[in-house]
Amino acid sequence: MSALDDRRRRFTQYKEDVKKRGKPFYPYAMFHDTVMSLVVVCVIFLLAVVWRYGWFGDALGPLNGPKADPGTTSFVPRPDWYFYFLFYLLRIFKWPESVILATVGIPTILLIILLALPFVDLRTERRLGRRPVAVVAAVLVVISMGVLTYKGATAKEAIAAEVKAAVPSWAKKEGFAGNKEALAGANLFAVSACTNCHTYLGTGSSNLGAPDLSAEGAKGKGIQFQISHLKCPSCVNSGSPMPAFADLGQDNLKKLATFLEASKGGK
Amino acid sequence: MARKKSDRRRQLERAAMYPLDWLEERSGLVGGVRYFLFRKVPGDTNWFHTLGSATLTAFLVQLVTGVILAMYYKPDPKSAHASIDHITHEVTLGWLVRGMHKWGASVFIILMFMHMGRVFLFGAYKYPRELNWIIGVLLLATGLFEGLTGYLLPFDQTAYWATVVAININGTAPFVGPFLASLLRGGAEIGPDTLARFYSLHMLLIPGALLGLITLHLYLVIRLGVTSPPWSSEAAGSGRPPEPPPAQAGLVRPRPRAAVKGRPTE
Amino acid sequence: MEDPRGDEQRHQPPPSLWPVGFAVGIVCLLVGLIVSWPAAAVGAAIAVVFGFLWARDVVAAGRGPALPGPGEPEAAPTAPAIPAHKGEAAMPEPEPAERFPRSVFLEMSTLGLGGIIGGIVTVPAIGFAVLPAFLKQHSPEIDLGPITDFPEGQYVVATFLRNPSEGEISRRTAYIRNNGMRSGTPSFTCISNRCAHLGCPVQPGGPVFDSKKQTVKTKNGEVDLIPALPAAGFICPCHGGAYDQEGNRTAGPPVRALDRYQFLIRDGHLVLLGTYSVSSVSGSGAQAKIHRYQLTGPGQHIDAPESWLYPVQPPH
Repeated sequence: MSALDDRRRRFTQYKEDVKKRGKPFYPYAMFHDTVMSLVVVCVIFLLAVVWRYGWFGDALGPLNGPKADPGTTSFVPRPDWYFYFLFYLLRIFKWPESVILATVGIPTILLIILLALPFVDLRTERRLGRRPVAVVAAVLVVISMGVLTYKGATAKEAIAAEVKAAVPSWAKKEGFAGNKEALAGANLFAVSACTNCHTYLGTGSSNLGAPDLSAEGAKGKGIQFQISHLKCPSCVNSGSPMPAFADLGQDNLKKLATFLEASKGGK
Repeated sequence: MARKKSDRRRQLERAAMYPLDWLEERSGLVGGVRYFLFRKVPGDTNWFHTLGSATLTAFLVQLVTGVILAMYYKPDPKSAHASIDHITHEVTLGWLVRGMHKWGASVFIILMFMHMGRVFLFGAYKYPRELNWIIGVLLLATGLFEGLTGYLLPFDQTAYWATVVAININGTAPFVGPFLASLLRGGAEIGPDTLARFYSLHMLLIPGALLGLITLHLYLVIRLGVTSPPWSSEAAGSGRPPEPPPAQAGLVRPRPRAAVKGRPTE
Repeated sequence: MEDPRGDEQRHQPPPSLWPVGFAVGIVCLLVGLIVSWPAAAVGAAIAVVFGFLWARDVVAAGRGPALPGPGEPEAAPTAPAIPAHKGEAAMPEPEPAERFPRSVFLEMSTLGLGGIIGGIVTVPAIGFAVLPAFLKQHSPEIDLGPITDFPEGQYVVATFLRNPSEGEISRRTAYIRNNGMRSGTPSFTCISNRCAHLGCPVQPGGPVFDSKKQTVKTKNGEVDLIPALPAAGFICPCHGGAYDQEGNRTAGPPVRALDRYQFLIRDGHLVLLGTYSVSSVSGSGAQAKIHRYQLTGPGQHIDAPESWLYPVQPPH
């Protein structure tokens, strides 16, 4: 009770102080507000111009994407950037039991924490030096949101058409353009959804835990190993979540294996 | 001569002020605006305190550009994508209005987060401003929902599939989730009515809620006053002594109470 | 300044309904001029009669105090003034117990009437916004063409309009495999391409032979059939879900197997019906045993302990 009385007394004091020694909102504070608003409007305007003319190498993305196709088999959506942290949470929680944590659990907890904040922190202290918990919490939130947003922003996706189009450049960089078998394997690799989990020379979905395959051939495991691994990954590498590709047939497997062995990391 | 001129000047001034006085006598609005403008704020408010009004500015940009976009946009799955193309490439300055709306949304969201961070670091959510903090949190959530519903409208691949995922995320909420998802879709599947549903939410329901919440938010700011930075030595801010507003300079200056009432004196 | 009361008494005409009748007559006359002559005549007659009555009243009022009315106060001065605290009160003094019920009655009825207004307005509005999302949900039949277009033992990527009248928005994709005959009837595996995690489109884990694409014309418009070899099953690029060739989850966040379409064979055509959810499939091909459940949204458990979180499903 006395704490509340103290807070009331302080607020009355604040009101009196402001009345006696404060400055009128207009024009003093409003000047700052107006300058800031001008900055905001200019930034919005500039962003629109940069986006329209595709400056800085189309940094702000295309003017309009391809029309929605509910029947597509090869599209990977991403949300607007301010949901990247949630988007990335979905990739972190990769167990069926934890889906609800990433979808509903964590956002709800965050919202409850925010709503409860003024009822949890009842002290009148406002100086940052005397609010270590608040400062630590703020820093942690900013860092974690920042990291998640950054990871979400840089997470790559495998868009089928892009992957297919990248094959000739792979062949050139890895130097297997002359190897017909490896080239066929590369094409097979590009269309067999491998890049949904693996990355290859910067193409493909990152952050799903599968290794980058650009330099797979440099490990010197041999074509036979590659074939048996493709046939049954968990037999060779126990606990591997990679699905078995045995049904591709010996021919196709050989092509893939040749391609993988020809991948020495590029130049 | 000088005296005569000042008489005339006074007459002119009275003529100029007449509409304001008329309005004031009938509505009290001028007094309200005057109270808003000339209310005292702590002496050491600074650039950090401008984030709130900057957010409001970004919201107003969204309001204006959104209304114009609504004149050209067609919320129908068969023509939405083409109408966006039309706006971007054919309507004069359509790219600018759409670009400002598209990027204004991001700026609005960033500013909301920054404003919230400022309030948190300044401890401005403490007594007696708890309620305003809660309204602010609701504004953040509503603003994010506004962004979510707006994301579907261009109706390109990203828009469609991101919305599929977003609706299904809502669907995983315990107990009510499946119903919430059906409600958002307007059926068991995303169908012809879903886009119009999102459009209505995006341009009527949620902006209405935002406007209401913003009004409450501002009302509480004016009623409770602006917090001075936490490093101030006293509640109202230290430093410069109060500088009275110059009597003649400025477009709007505080007038004596009697004149504000708007009644001609003799 | 003049005494306002005197002003009123001298100039204000007495209340009268005749002008209303006169106006009605004029309207009738004008409408009659357009519509029919008899109506115009009746209107004219009404206007004349009421006009006459009105004029008579005005003249009578101008002539002098023929009307009763404001004469009453004149009697008052003769009577002795009644002290304010005596005599009859302007409003009967209610018993303390009575006064309360009256205000309560007003309060309740104001709230009640307001509630009725609110109800009349909001019930249809909210019903209109909410109910269509849950009522009249049905799965259309989707004709995919003759079953001979589906080679036995091979997966085909079928892309079709679920409901042609809705247009492109109802385009869906299914992975369909002809399992051959099972005890005399053709058996098919019809897997929906929506991931059981959050509904992204899953891709076949193997090559899709675009060059062998076939377009079949059916009642549902054009259906695209593309042979595929999903050797590694189905893979979701969004969050890394993986399924085997029967749609069982093998890795990643999906909470169950891929949904499937019900199907029937009619006149040698493969017809898809609604979708249903599957917890898991044991066995494969025609011998597969499917653990089927009511259609449930992506990301919602159906057989794990967490399934108690989703006890009721909206109609699909």
